[in-house]
Amino acid sequence: MVTKTEERELNQLENQVENGGGGVWEYLYLVRKLKVRRSEIVLKHGLSILNDSGKRSALGPDEWILYEQVAMAAMDCQSLAVAQNCIKVLQKKFPESKRVGKLEALLIEAKGMWEEAEKAYSILLEDNPLDQVIHKRKVAMAKAQGKPSLAIEHLNKYLEVFMADHDAWRELAEIYVSLQMYKQAAFCYEELILSQPTLPLYHLAYADVLYTIGGLENLIAARKYYAATIDLTGGKCTRALLGICLCGSAISQLSRGRNKEDKDMAAQELESLAATALEKEYKQKSPAKLNLLSSALRSLKLS
Amino acid sequence: MAEDLVLDTAIRDWVLIPLSVVMVLIGILRYFVSKLMRSSPSPDAKIVKEGQVIIRARNLKAGANFIPLRSFRTRRLYFSNEENGLLHVPKGQGTNPQAQMFSDPNMAMDMMKKNLSMIIPQTLTFAWVNFFFSGFVAAKIPFPLTQRFRSMLQNGIDLSTVDVSYVSSRSWYFLNLFGLRGLFSLILGDENAIDDTQRMMQMGGFGFDASKSLGAEKDGLDIIQHDWALPRFEQRAESVLRKLVK
Repeated sequence: MVTKTEERELNQLENQVENGGGGVWEYLYLVRKLKVRRSEIVLKHGLSILNDSGKRSALGPDEWILYEQVAMAAMDCQSLAVAQNCIKVLQKKFPESKRVGKLEALLIEAKGMWEEAEKAYSILLEDNPLDQVIHKRKVAMAKAQGKPSLAIEHLNKYLEVFMADHDAWRELAEIYVSLQMYKQAAFCYEELILSQPTLPLYHLAYADVLYTIGGLENLIAARKYYAATIDLTGGKCTRALLGICLCGSAISQLSRGRNKEDKDMAAQELESLAATALEKEYKQKSPAKLNLLSSALRSLKLS
Repeated sequence: MAEDLVLDTAIRDWVLIPLSVVMVLIGILRYFVSKLMRSSPSPDAKIVKEGQVIIRARNLKAGANFIPLRSFRTRRLYFSNEENGLLHVPKGQGTNPQAQMFSDPNMAMDMMKKNLSMIIPQTLTFAWVNFFFSGFVAAKIPFPLTQRFRSMLQNGIDLSTVDVSYVSSRSWYFLNLFGLRGLFSLILGDENAIDDTQRMMQMGGFGFDASKSLGAEKDGLDIIQHDWALPRFEQRAESVLRKLVK
């Protein structure tokens, strides 16, 4: 994860680079270190360094790393000719290299030639069956071809070996949600909460999924997780506030016939407080929509 | 007995500085040699999987109170199930790391190379220091020490009345041995600043004994009592909102 100081430094360097100041190399180094995705800027400035042979020779052995970085950025921006040139240079310098082989396979995938890319990746995997990046590329290809079930299959196989990779769990959860397989998505979000319990994003997503599945028990749990999100974000998360109001009204609807004891009496005022906080926030940020919000909240309370 | 001995500046020029320079150069040489000799490790799929299982089991232990009871129970069963649970190691099969080490020639060679690359330069330098730079006072330590350090620091000096703060060049050698890490991080880049102390620590760690850690994780999981923390969060959210709304 990128820390705040690193983020600030990155933004600072980015501004400097974009406005014509120097510091391009430090910026590129920081982008590489933090693994952020700033492909357009990387492409523009990286290419300017590479095309200028004076600056290029000043880099020394780091020039090849820059070629790799620019090739990947070019593929991200669909400048396939640029990527092809970079890869050709790298191939001349490092023939028979697995790292360059990976870039070539990526280029084939970027061109959209799925079968050849599949073949290239399988060959690379034979040499090194534990390469995480190639496994993830296969999943990405399946997703790009519009075959989510194939992507799910690949991801599950990947997660059987690399089960501590939380990015993979997150991707799987999102694919499940897109396919409306909510129970499985809930499982994935639970894994994410386990690995990083202080991140409100996962609590929020889990609460959303629980609310969507429905049923009294799930709604009560969803409310609890929305409350956790509010606690972790200091009350600033609008979605969680709305979630609490919706859960509250859904719970009261479902438990109308039942005993009052079934409903969770722990936090009575939570809904009214959430409603008040919402109105306050809307008043501050978009007063034009305040009427909409108030009428929506009123209808929730009545139902 | 605090007479101030006047130390010749020639000692500084011809002993302290050359010794430090030599140690720095040896360190750099060792870095490059180790880079050349390093054989790329080929990780075994099983070992990788076991490592990841342990991380996941640890996450489960740490975050157990954040997920509902049923989910926790399901996962615990998945891990510690007697028949095919991930953490369950049947009695006979625990891999013996010692046997594995001697049977796997690659690993044995790696271990030997690492040890050798550390022992030989150290021994040589130490012998060189002893041969050339013994028998005189090399430096004065700025803070006073007790008499116990005399045998360690004043090795070549055969006078027993000299203040313990005056040390021989052997102690300068040891000082350099443990302290050049900062210098190496400047010269070789931040990640390569492995100095002798860390290497000595690395020497002690033998192969990764997976079966014991799996068993330990399983026991840890079995012990946990699940206490769902989420209801408390509702209270806290209430107080947060109350403060916000006021």
